[in-house]
Amino acid sequence: MSGGVTHQLSGRRALQFFPRRGTPFSVLEFLLLIVCISLAGVGLPQNLQDVAVLTFLWAGLALAWNIAGGYAGLISFGHAAFFGIGAYTSTILFVRAGITPWIGIWCGAVLTGAFGALLALICARLRGPFLILSTLAAAEVVRIGALNWASLTGGPEGLSIPPVPGVANMVFASKATYVVIMLLFLLGVYAITKFLEGSRYGYYLFSVRDDADAASAAGVNPLAVRTAAMALSAGLTGIGGSLFAQYFLYLDPTFVISPEISFQFALLAAVGGLGTAIGPVLGSFLITPMSELLRSYLGSQAAGLHLVIYSALLIVVMLYFPGGIAGALARLAGRRNKP
Amino acid sequence: MSTFGQLVLSGIFIGSIYALMSMGLTLIFGVLRIVNFAHGEFLMLGMYGAWAITRLFGLNPYVAAIAVVPAMFLFGAIVHQLVVRPGLDKPHLVVVFATMGLSIFMQNVALMIMTADLWDVAPIFSRSVTIGPFYFKAELLLGFVVTIVCTFFLRWLIRTTYLGKAIRATVQDGEAAMLMGIPVPRIFLITFAGGSALVGLAACIMMPLFSVFPTVGLNFVLIAFVIVVLGGMGSIEGALLGGICIGVVQSLSSYYVAPAYGQMFYFILFLLVMIFRPNGLLGQKGAATIGIND
Repeated sequence: MSGGVTHQLSGRRALQFFPRRGTPFSVLEFLLLIVCISLAGVGLPQNLQDVAVLTFLWAGLALAWNIAGGYAGLISFGHAAFFGIGAYTSTILFVRAGITPWIGIWCGAVLTGAFGALLALICARLRGPFLILSTLAAAEVVRIGALNWASLTGGPEGLSIPPVPGVANMVFASKATYVVIMLLFLLGVYAITKFLEGSRYGYYLFSVRDDADAASAAGVNPLAVRTAAMALSAGLTGIGGSLFAQYFLYLDPTFVISPEISFQFALLAAVGGLGTAIGPVLGSFLITPMSELLRSYLGSQAAGLHLVIYSALLIVVMLYFPGGIAGALARLAGRRNKP
Repeated sequence: MSTFGQLVLSGIFIGSIYALMSMGLTLIFGVLRIVNFAHGEFLMLGMYGAWAITRLFGLNPYVAAIAVVPAMFLFGAIVHQLVVRPGLDKPHLVVVFATMGLSIFMQNVALMIMTADLWDVAPIFSRSVTIGPFYFKAELLLGFVVTIVCTFFLRWLIRTTYLGKAIRATVQDGEAAMLMGIPVPRIFLITFAGGSALVGLAACIMMPLFSVFPTVGLNFVLIAFVIVVLGGMGSIEGALLGGICIGVVQSLSSYYVAPAYGQMFYFILFLLVMIFRPNGLLGQKGAATIGIND
């Protein structure tokens, strides 16, 4: 297998949680790609387009989270802060200064990337639950800040983007356009993830995640590697946030920067399989449509039932398939037994 | 000056209630290193229990503790066996996600059964307490007393009893503890269940002060984690100190800066402690890394 170096470093049992690198492209990936493009291209019924938009967007965001959480081992429960900062940056630039979101998105990405790097540097010494709690606390600081800085963010009333369709406004009348945009976002993040896996920097990431001491003995700077991974992950999450804002046309801090959003990124990635490129995609493709459809069918009769089913599933998957869906599939295919 | 004194004292009292709520997590997260994200929902369950007993039998919530505390002990034991234990031999992330799933599960079951309405109980004491120039709700003062008693009791339990020594030995080196004849799995079970029972007690003390609703735990779970880490993982008196710090910071910043910023300040305080003193205020050196495999 190509991940021989990482394999040898991953001697400790705890690290088996992160599967080793797979083959360059699998049949599954091609199948998913074809399904996505045909979904986007052939056109879906109106009510399913919404589900497709969310599925693609969440898959892209879970992949972005996975760069920090799965590849660098920086389990962050504060990614909602990046999501929110990205969304607010492009929206504020657009609403208050008239700058087109096509430019605003990149401003948001740079700003969130910088914030991600800062957070990684602040939390450099922290591991495990301490890192989780610190990122959670940092996101809460951002949320409360956004809630109270009303002159900039609109405070609790939120911020609306005028629903005037137009390419320059990045607001579209048809949902099909959004399906395509989200699919492009998903494919972009997926391509970056795949590129990371095969690159020299990807190997640095794996080595730092699996054993930071051994990595630094081998000449890798763990701090620099981690900071870059967090910045990349944060920047991509910021782009996702801007796209979210352009789709919903409304932002308020209690939703956009809520811990639930952070948990969502992490859960989708974990259910799908941490540290794999296909995992977060599978996670989102399974869970997002399921919870959206359950919500629309059950929502009126039993508030919360879809989340009961979802969370019960999550507990079972985490306890009995800690490698997520991707890990379970790999085990099924017997790939793990190969040396 | 008297305003300042009133604020500090209120902060100490409310902080001690936070500390009481965190005592259970000090056992579960601080001592056993189990990241229980459902801790807030344990509190929510205890509060619904206290509320239901008050409502059904016309008892006061403090009396309800007689039933709620053992029930929460049992509940904790069940959760430990079903959700926590299968994940203990796996990386800590598994338990993090499993308890997070449990948290979403409990919130939404509560939403389905109890709806999103806020429930509360009538005030217990008709008069507030006067100490010199300061006024307090009597419920707060009672909470403070219970917290102090609990702190001393737990400190004694952890430091001197056989059970406490067995718990500490288990955490320091599970294998060695097992070789010494300590029933490690049972110690985990008892400690986890004991932590849940403590949350049940906190819920009964908090019921007259706060309303209960399905997501009430979210407001408290982060404070609880902050307090446990701030005090130094597993340090009982540290948790008391951490709770009081949070209470005073919240009370002062709410008055002098703006109410909305109260929470922000204690998260910033937490981040500062994490950056400069990761072992917490009273934690021993290296406490932050014992029993954590990353």
